[in-house]
Amino acid sequence: MYDLIVIGGGHAGVEAALAASRMDKKVAIVTMDASKLALMSCNPAIGGVGKSHVVKEIDALGGIMGEAIDATGIQFRRLNLSRGPAVWSTRVQADRVKYNQYIVDFVNSDKNVEVIEALAGELLVKNHKIEGIKTESGEAILSKTVIIASGTFLGGLIHIGEKKIKAGRFGENAAYKLSESLKSIGFKTGRLKTGTPPRIDGRTIDWNKCEIQPGHEPIPFFSSRSRREPFKQTPCYLTYTSEKTKEIISTNFHRSPIFSGQVDSTGPRYCPSIEDKFYRFKDKDKHQLFLEPEGNGTDDIYPNGFSTSLPEDIQRLAIRSVIGMEEAIVTRPGYAVEYDYCPANQIKPTMETRLVQGLFLAGQINGTSGYEEAAGQGLMAGINAVLYIEKEKPFILDRSEAYIGVMIDDITTRSTTEPYRLFTSRAEYRLAMREDNTRDRLMEKGEKLGLLSGREYSLFVSLQAETSRIEKQLPKIQLRTSQIGEIGKRFIRTDMTTLENLVRQPGLSISTTVSYIEEFAPELSTNREAIERAIISVRYSGYVEKQQREIDKFKKLENEKIPSDFDYSSIVGLKTEAKEKFTLFRPSSLGQAGRIEGVTPGDVSVLSIYLTRIKSIAI
Amino acid sequence: MRYGKFVSSENESIDEVMAVVMPAGQSYTGLSQAEIFCHGGRQVASLILDEIVKSGARTAEPGEFTKLAFLSGKIDLSKAEAVAEIISANTEQSYRAAREHLLGNYSKLIDDIYSDLISLLAQVEASIDFPEEELSPNETKALLKLSDKNINQISSLLETYKGGKIIKEGFKIALAGKTNAGKSSLFNQLLKEQRAIVAPTEGTTRDFLSEWIDIDGYAINIIDTAGIRKDAEHVEKIGQESAKKIIEDSDLTLWMFDQTDKDAFEKAHSNSQEIKAREILLVANKSDLISSEKWSKQSNQTLNIVETSCKTGEGIKELQRKILEIIRANAKDSSSGVIVTSRRHQKKLKAALSHLRIARKHIEVSESPDITAFELRMGANELEEITGRIYNEQILGEIFSKFCIGK
Repeated sequence: MYDLIVIGGGHAGVEAALAASRMDKKVAIVTMDASKLALMSCNPAIGGVGKSHVVKEIDALGGIMGEAIDATGIQFRRLNLSRGPAVWSTRVQADRVKYNQYIVDFVNSDKNVEVIEALAGELLVKNHKIEGIKTESGEAILSKTVIIASGTFLGGLIHIGEKKIKAGRFGENAAYKLSESLKSIGFKTGRLKTGTPPRIDGRTIDWNKCEIQPGHEPIPFFSSRSRREPFKQTPCYLTYTSEKTKEIISTNFHRSPIFSGQVDSTGPRYCPSIEDKFYRFKDKDKHQLFLEPEGNGTDDIYPNGFSTSLPEDIQRLAIRSVIGMEEAIVTRPGYAVEYDYCPANQIKPTMETRLVQGLFLAGQINGTSGYEEAAGQGLMAGINAVLYIEKEKPFILDRSEAYIGVMIDDITTRSTTEPYRLFTSRAEYRLAMREDNTRDRLMEKGEKLGLLSGREYSLFVSLQAETSRIEKQLPKIQLRTSQIGEIGKRFIRTDMTTLENLVRQPGLSISTTVSYIEEFAPELSTNREAIERAIISVRYSGYVEKQQREIDKFKKLENEKIPSDFDYSSIVGLKTEAKEKFTLFRPSSLGQAGRIEGVTPGDVSVLSIYLTRIKSIAI
Repeated sequence: MRYGKFVSSENESIDEVMAVVMPAGQSYTGLSQAEIFCHGGRQVASLILDEIVKSGARTAEPGEFTKLAFLSGKIDLSKAEAVAEIISANTEQSYRAAREHLLGNYSKLIDDIYSDLISLLAQVEASIDFPEEELSPNETKALLKLSDKNINQISSLLETYKGGKIIKEGFKIALAGKTNAGKSSLFNQLLKEQRAIVAPTEGTTRDFLSEWIDIDGYAINIIDTAGIRKDAEHVEKIGQESAKKIIEDSDLTLWMFDQTDKDAFEKAHSNSQEIKAREILLVANKSDLISSEKWSKQSNQTLNIVETSCKTGEGIKELQRKILEIIRANAKDSSSGVIVTSRRHQKKLKAALSHLRIARKHIEVSESPDITAFELRMGANELEEITGRIYNEQILGEIFSKFCIGK
C-alpha cells in the first residue's frame, strides 16, 4: 500500500510527489505517459510577474521547479526593475525538452517515488474516506491518501475551428471516467477553457524584421542551490500583427468556436485568444507578439500572444500576415481546450476535499491556470497529505506569508469565473512579500517540516546573519560625495556621507547603489546578494512597518476561528444569502468570512457578534 | 393592512386596531416585522405594548432598528449614520444634510470618488502586473491628471466639512465687550426674536449663560461672556481667562460697545484685535441715544460693524442678517448638496487625501510604483471604511475592461 497516490504527472503532481517523498512517504504517480512528467503544455517559460514569487516560495520549501528551470533555462530576465523591489520578477525561457528530461531523471532517481503508467478511472472511497484508485483497465491501487492533479485531462476536449477532439493535450488521451467518478461521489464540477498558439518553424521566420530581446546578466537564478557553467543565452524576439492580420481575423470571427457558441466555458481574461483581442479592442490595429524559442535543440517557436482556436487554414493565413512571418510554416496548430474542474469551495485551505477524507485536489482541477500556480498547490497538497497521515497540524500559509497563501485563500473564498492566475495586485501585503525575502518568510517552516537539506538551511542562516551585519555597518562607513555622481551634489555642506544616507537617497536605483558600494566601500561585504538584501531592507523599512500594522490587523481577524461544522442557519438576523454563502465556502476564520464574495460588512458583524456570544457562553 | 381587534391573553378586547405585516426583506430592518396602529391616547398604547411584552417581546434599544437594518445589509454605514443624524436634526439645515446622506447621494459621491481612485490604482497595477504590455504611452501624464482629479474631489468634499460641522453641531456666537455695553440686553433681545431650540451638542460652558436659537434653519449657540451664572461654582475664579477661551472657541464674536461712550469705538476696536477670535462683528449699541453725528464710522468703511439699540430693537434685524451672512460664508454649498458632517468621515477623508498626495509625488518622480500602489490602496482603505467595500477583484476587473492584456 502506498502512502500517497498522485493522479497526474504535471507540475502539480510532481511537486506533490516529491514533497511527500522528502517527508519519507511512499508515493505512486499515476500518469498516462511516464516520459511526459512536468511537460510544458503551453508556453516554454517559468516565472513572470507574480508567478516568480511562487517559484521562489516553492524553492524555499524544497520544491524542484526553481532548480529545474535554472538548470535548463535558455534565457533569464528580471522584469519590473524600474517598479520597485516588491514587484521585481524573474522570468526564464525554458528548453522544453530538457526541462521535462531533468524532472523525469530526478523523479526516477527518487527511491520513494514510483511512476505507474495508467489512466486513473475511479476513486475508491469508503465511509467518506479515500482508500485508493482503480485504473481504467480495472486494476486497484491502494493508498492512504490521493491527490488529483489532472490538469486539462479531466474531461478534456480540444477545439480547432469546427473540429472537436477528446484529448487533454494535442495528440494525447483524456480522462472521462475519473470525472464521472468524482460526480458520482457528489463533487460539483464545471467547465473551463484555455488555449495555446500554433507553433512556428523558426527557420522560416525573417528575424531581421523582428526586434531582439536579449537575456539579463548576471543571470538571475531562482534557486540559491543553482550553479551553472557560463553559457550563451538565447534571445527572444518581438514582432507585431499587421493590418492584414486584423482583416483576416475579423472576417473569420464566426469560425472561432468561442464566437460560434461551440465553446461556452470561460477562458482567462489575461490570456485572450488573438481573435478575442481583435474582437474586444476593435480600435487597436495591431498587437505585439513575443517569439519564444522552445529550446536550443529545436526550431519550434512559440508565438506568445497568438493563442487561437480558429480553423487551421485561417491560422496559417493569419500567421503569414504577421511581420517577419510572411513565409512562416506552422508546425502544429493552436487550439482551445475545455476541461472539468471542481469549484474550490469544495476543498479546505489544506487542499483536502470536504467530501472525502484523505483526498486532495491540486492545480487546474481547482480552477487555476499556470505551471507555477499548479506547482505551488501540488507542493501544499503533498505536504498536507503527509501531515494528514501523521495526524499532525496542517500546513497553511496565510495572505501575509506567501503568494501561495494568497492564491489558496482566493480560490477557496470566491467562485471561479475564469481560470485563476496570480498577479502581484492580488497580494494586499505585497511590500512585505518580495522575491528577495522569500527564504526569510518560509525557509524555517520548510526546515521544520523536513523539506530541506540541513546544509541548504544553514547557508541561508549565514546569509541572514551577513545581511544584518551589513545593515549595522551602513551608518558607520563613509563615502566621498564626489564619488557618487549627481547624487553627491545633494550633499552641499559636507564632502563625506554615510552609506546609510546613500541607501536612503530617493531616485537612486538599487543596482546603482550596489555598484557604488562595491566600488568605493568594498570593505562592507563581498556578498552581493547580502548587500542588495540589506539595501532593500533599509530603504523599505518605513513602508514595511506600515504594512506590518495592516498585517497585525489582518492576523487578528484570521485568528478568530470558526468551527468547520458551524451551523449558520441558526443565526438570527443573518440574511439568507449570507447564510448560503457562508455554508458554501465554510470560512475558517472571521477574516476569511469577510473576504467571501458578496458578503457585506454587515453580515460579518452579525457573525462576529454571534461568535462572541457563543464563546462567552462556552466560557 | 388589516383591520381588527387587539385581544389580550385573557381574551379581553383592548382596542380596535389596524396592523401591517412586512415579510423579511421588505421591511426597514430587513427582518420580518409588524406594525400595529391603535387609537390615540397613552393608555391604550401602553396596554397594547404591555400585552406584547408579556407574550415574549422586548422593547427596542435606541437605534436598534437601524442597527438591524445595517446588519442585514439594507443600508450601508454612512446611511445608518445618516438615520441617526435625521433623528437628531433639530433645524431644517441639519435635516437637509442628513436627508442627502440617507437618500444615498452622499454614499454615491463617495462611491464616485472611490471608483476614480480605483481606476487610478488599476492603471498603476496594470503597469506592474503587465510590464510587457503596451499600455498608455503617456502613462505618467495620465496618472497625474487622474490623481489631481481625485485630490480635488476629496479636498472640495472636505471643504464642506466646516459648513457641515456648523450645520450638525451648530454655530457658536460669543457676546463680548465692556461691562454695561448691553450684552445681556442683546442676549435677551435675540432670544425673544427667535425660537429657542434644544441643544444639538453638549454645552461647553456651565458657567456662562448659554442658549440655543434657530436663525433661518441654522442652530446657533449664543454665549454671554459677561453673564456669569449666579449658581455657577467658584464664581470668583471664573474671570477673563474663561471668557477668552469661550471667544477663541466661538465661530463668531459679537464685540459690543456703547456708542455714547467717548472713545469706546477705538477701545473696542483695539481690544477686539488683541483677542484671538475667529471672526469679529462689532456691535455699536445704544443707537437710540445718539441723534445726529455718529462716531468715526466714515473712517472704517471696511470694518464689520452694526448699529443696534437693544432698547428699541432697532438694528436687531440688520444684526441677524449680518450673522446669517457670516454663517453662509462659512457653510459654503450647504444648501445645494452633499456635505461632510461627521467627524469620523472627515478624518477618513483627510487620511485618504494625504495618502493620495504622497502617491502623486511618487508618480511625479516616476519612482517605485509599488509604493505608489501601496499609498493608493491605503487611501482606498480609508474610503472603504466610510461605506464598506472590498476591492481586489474590482482592480483586476478594471484592468481587464480597459486594457488589452494578454500575450
